[in-house]
Amino acid sequence: MCILNSAMTRFKLILLLLFAVCLAPVAVMAADEHAEAESAEKAINPKEIIFEHLGDGYGWEVPFDHHHRIPLPVIVWGSDGLHVFSSARITGGQEYTDGNATFRLGDSESNWKGKIVEVVDGKESRPWDFSITKNVCALFITVLLVGGIMLWLAAYLRRKPFNAPRKGLGAVEVCVTFVYDGVIKPILGPKASKFAPYLLTAFFFILVMNLLGLVVIFPGGANLTGNIAITLVLSICTFLATNLFANKHYWKEILWPDVPLWLKCPIPIMPVIEIFGMFTKPAALTVRLFANMMGGHMIVITLTLLIFIFSAISPVAGGATTVVSLIFSIFMLLIDVLVSFIQAYVFTMLSTIFIGLANEEEHEKHEAAKEGHIGKEIEETLI
Amino acid sequence: MELFTPDFGLVFWMFVAFGILFLVLWKFAWPAILKGVDDRAELIDKGVEYAQAAKEQLDNARKEAESYLNEARRQQADILRDADKMKTQIIEQARSAAQVEAQKVMENAKLQIQQQQKEAQQQFRNQVSDFALQIAGKIINRQIADDKAQNELVGAMLDDIEKNNK
Repeated sequence: MCILNSAMTRFKLILLLLFAVCLAPVAVMAADEHAEAESAEKAINPKEIIFEHLGDGYGWEVPFDHHHRIPLPVIVWGSDGLHVFSSARITGGQEYTDGNATFRLGDSESNWKGKIVEVVDGKESRPWDFSITKNVCALFITVLLVGGIMLWLAAYLRRKPFNAPRKGLGAVEVCVTFVYDGVIKPILGPKASKFAPYLLTAFFFILVMNLLGLVVIFPGGANLTGNIAITLVLSICTFLATNLFANKHYWKEILWPDVPLWLKCPIPIMPVIEIFGMFTKPAALTVRLFANMMGGHMIVITLTLLIFIFSAISPVAGGATTVVSLIFSIFMLLIDVLVSFIQAYVFTMLSTIFIGLANEEEHEKHEAAKEGHIGKEIEETLI
Repeated sequence: MELFTPDFGLVFWMFVAFGILFLVLWKFAWPAILKGVDDRAELIDKGVEYAQAAKEQLDNARKEAESYLNEARRQQADILRDADKMKTQIIEQARSAAQVEAQKVMENAKLQIQQQQKEAQQQFRNQVSDFALQIAGKIINRQIADDKAQNELVGAMLDDIEKNNK
């Protein structure tokens, strides 16, 4: 009875809040009617906002403040060597001269819009840019988080080897054993311990990056795994792990596969396809993770922007959209939490399968065919 | 299209950061974690095995103890029965011994009695003869006249008495 009562109270409270949220834009609009001309001038450009949020930046947004950013160091290798300066010197659009070189952010007409360019004789050129951007900063935070958590867990297990960790560490350990016993061991068998360090690192790195990306304020908010550079590096690592440690059988299957002779002798059709396949696998890994995470972020931002777009049309429509958008954004964010985990899991599993296929012995062919089949099936459904 | 072109700086830093993270975790974290988890799993398996063995042993021990107890009970009953038998035997023996002793005592008593009887008879006879002699003397003293006839009569009477006592 008591529980029911409190649930009812909470439900009423939520209804009230929703109602207040509906009314808020109406009230604001009513108050700001005289400023309508001004607001038309500052019409929202959804595309720009979306791409700004999805992309990288030289500073980190301060929550609830559109004008101030936390400046981050810019490190560039220009035409005359290394330059290091604060991003606060250029984010306003002004030029900054350090020694003999002049830098500024590329404007909207530039080839490198929003990136640092060096101005040489009035012409723009892109220097080697090693800046600690928002994404790089988030990357470092992720590395520290993952490294810290795992070293903590390792220290715990070293200190009390036969105690099971509780609470947070226990959850981390469950995730480790979930990936190791659920994916790596069954697929790689005796070679599990050889590749486990890379696969586990990749899994937790991706997972933490994904989840941090969903947090809106400071330590999170960078769309890291939705950036193709990150996923590219990860899949290059998988590519290297697959091909550097591959056995003879794997290379034989690529260069001289088990097919009728005419498919490989005068014109090497199958070998070409197989070699192509070597690169499409990591490419699929790159695009899958990137597209999934970026898509999730894009949908949430778009839903949020809908509120402002409709509010510009009419206050009532804006109020209604607020409710719908809010519900959908929360729903999408919850789905994204799930997707964060699933994508980390899928990346790890496919990497494991690729590595497993490259380490198969000849006599395990039937099993390999089965496993490969399963792997491909999973891949197809996920693409 | 900007989203689809990887940034050189980010790629570089990603390689550096991920590489460092991988090396550090490879060296210090993963082996320790996986070994710790494995060791613990082994310990738990062993513990379960041990517990099962201990339970089995306990069950066996309980059975053994029960059998020992039963054996002891049987032995106790046997001993009690034996003791009972022995007791009756001893009583029997004692009784028979007592009987024999009693018989002996009785026989002795009989013999003594007979002896005493004989002595008494002898004494009595002597006394009787004494009395008789005294009486006879007195009679003789009184009736000296009829001396001869009287002596014959006394002799005849004594013979009769003797005959009767034999």
